[in-house]
Amino acid sequence: MPNLSDAIRTIRWMVRDTFRQSISTKLFWVMLSITVVCTLFAASIKVTGGVSTYEGVAYTVPQSEVDKLGGIEKVTGDGVQVKNGEISLGFGAIKSKIAKSKEDSVKFIQLWLAGVVGDSLGILLAIIWTAGFLPTFLEPQSATVLLAKGAPRWSILLGKYFGVVGFVSLQAVLFVLGTWLAIGGATGVWDLTYWLAVPLMMANFAIFYAVSVFIGVATRSTVASAFGTLLFWVLCWAMNYTHHSLVSQPVSSLGGGSGFLLELGYWFLPKPLDLGGLFFDSMGASGFYGQMPEMTDLKTANKFHPEASVLASGAFAVVTLGAACYEFSQTDY
Amino acid sequence: MLAASFENVGKTYKSGLIRKSGITAVQNVSLEVPRGSVFALLGPNRAGKTTLVKLLLNLARPTTGAVTRLGEPASLRGSLNKVGYMHENHAFPKYLSASEVLHFYGGMSGVPTDQLSGKASQWLERVGLADRAHEPISRFSKGMVQRLGLAQAMMNDPELLILDEPTEGLDLLGRQLLRDVIGELKAAGKTAILVSHVLPEVQELCTEVGVMVAGQLAFRGKLNDLTSNRAGLEAALKALYVKGTA
Repeated sequence: MPNLSDAIRTIRWMVRDTFRQSISTKLFWVMLSITVVCTLFAASIKVTGGVSTYEGVAYTVPQSEVDKLGGIEKVTGDGVQVKNGEISLGFGAIKSKIAKSKEDSVKFIQLWLAGVVGDSLGILLAIIWTAGFLPTFLEPQSATVLLAKGAPRWSILLGKYFGVVGFVSLQAVLFVLGTWLAIGGATGVWDLTYWLAVPLMMANFAIFYAVSVFIGVATRSTVASAFGTLLFWVLCWAMNYTHHSLVSQPVSSLGGGSGFLLELGYWFLPKPLDLGGLFFDSMGASGFYGQMPEMTDLKTANKFHPEASVLASGAFAVVTLGAACYEFSQTDY
Repeated sequence: MLAASFENVGKTYKSGLIRKSGITAVQNVSLEVPRGSVFALLGPNRAGKTTLVKLLLNLARPTTGAVTRLGEPASLRGSLNKVGYMHENHAFPKYLSASEVLHFYGGMSGVPTDQLSGKASQWLERVGLADRAHEPISRFSKGMVQRLGLAQAMMNDPELLILDEPTEGLDLLGRQLLRDVIGELKAAGKTAILVSHVLPEVQELCTEVGVMVAGQLAFRGKLNDLTSNRAGLEAALKALYVKGTA
């Protein structure tokens, strides 16, 4: 049996090497540039006026409705608050009236940054951009001398996996830190729930990068690794969606066998839609963005189990990584 | 004591997803390399020399037979920490400097962290790259990369050094360095296996020789026996060549 300290040392070396690789391929700087652009965007936000809180107030109306209701004095005299704020983006280049409190306006933008830019676009780009790390590393001309060292092969592969996940996590932390500081500095709103985006993005990436690793080991092809993982993500999303549609609105013609297979497929595969749902709930996005009706129905029926869903998705990632390690240990070079 | 042994070893590489076809690289090879020897594995291109080395290094697994390395089955990777290996066309990561290459590969060979810097400096000095230690190796010539390859193979002070086409790309100084290193290993009672397709490149270094032809061992003996009995060897090679291509 390989010595555990040897394996840990190998993983440490591989993580360090992966960070060097990311810097040399310019990926580190490309992703950092995107963070800088988003941070500048966040720093350019200014929110003025608005209703500071809705608590204890029975009614609120937007500024545009005040005249129709008899003027500002009558409206406020009746105990109704007027929502009369303004948000400006791009250091005042774009201005818009808002019918929200300052905190809600900031939350709306943070959810867009974390959910759309970070967790959707960012993770998909990270999967594509990091897909070449492993196949490049596994080319026989590059790998043979390393594989002729005493380090267990599985620890070399795990080190590469942790290195890439660590690199993307660092980028996620920098993204959230930069935009959180910029938004806080510009608006005075310091919402700590925004930081939940970091573990949620990490979990999302770590699960699907395990698939990228498996394809990379099996094919040693960057293209297969990138597009295979994206196709797999689409497959998982479709399975997840179909499952929720049929659970929330059962189809009577669906036989027991088909239902069993659907459940099996749902629980076996990663669940991107559920991870999105968990993201939605954790970040407190209800009231700001609409959720898919199927997901809402599932929650209403008390059939959405985010913990079990995340655990099952994580288990899939562990099994996939295990299969990749086995395949790697059996491969001739 | 043996540094390496092959017992009726065969290796067939499979390819194709459904109808798997096989390419036999090595068949029925039995060979022993004693500790303390400098052993040259010779033969023409595609004779199976590199495959034999890969089996010894656990880079590939034998289809038949058994391989041992430093007294242990080759499948046990622990003893690889006592082995140094370089081959002619290794592509080190271009983003590393020479010093970082030695730290990385030394670390992966089990060299304790507190000894890495000392050993790296020592070997960079030895292979004439000390003044370029912090330069990215993407700027290095092939000869410099080969010398760096030799340094990384020596970082763990190996009991067994395996060099696949080691003189490829080396200039005169590099070849002299190689001779010196192998001489020191031999004096210390350690083992070196040199793989080459040209005898003159290794004949001044080695004491014992194995000749591979068409995946089989055609000759095994002292270097003197090979050079003095050329007619017999040629007949054996011819027979094997005809058999291998029939």
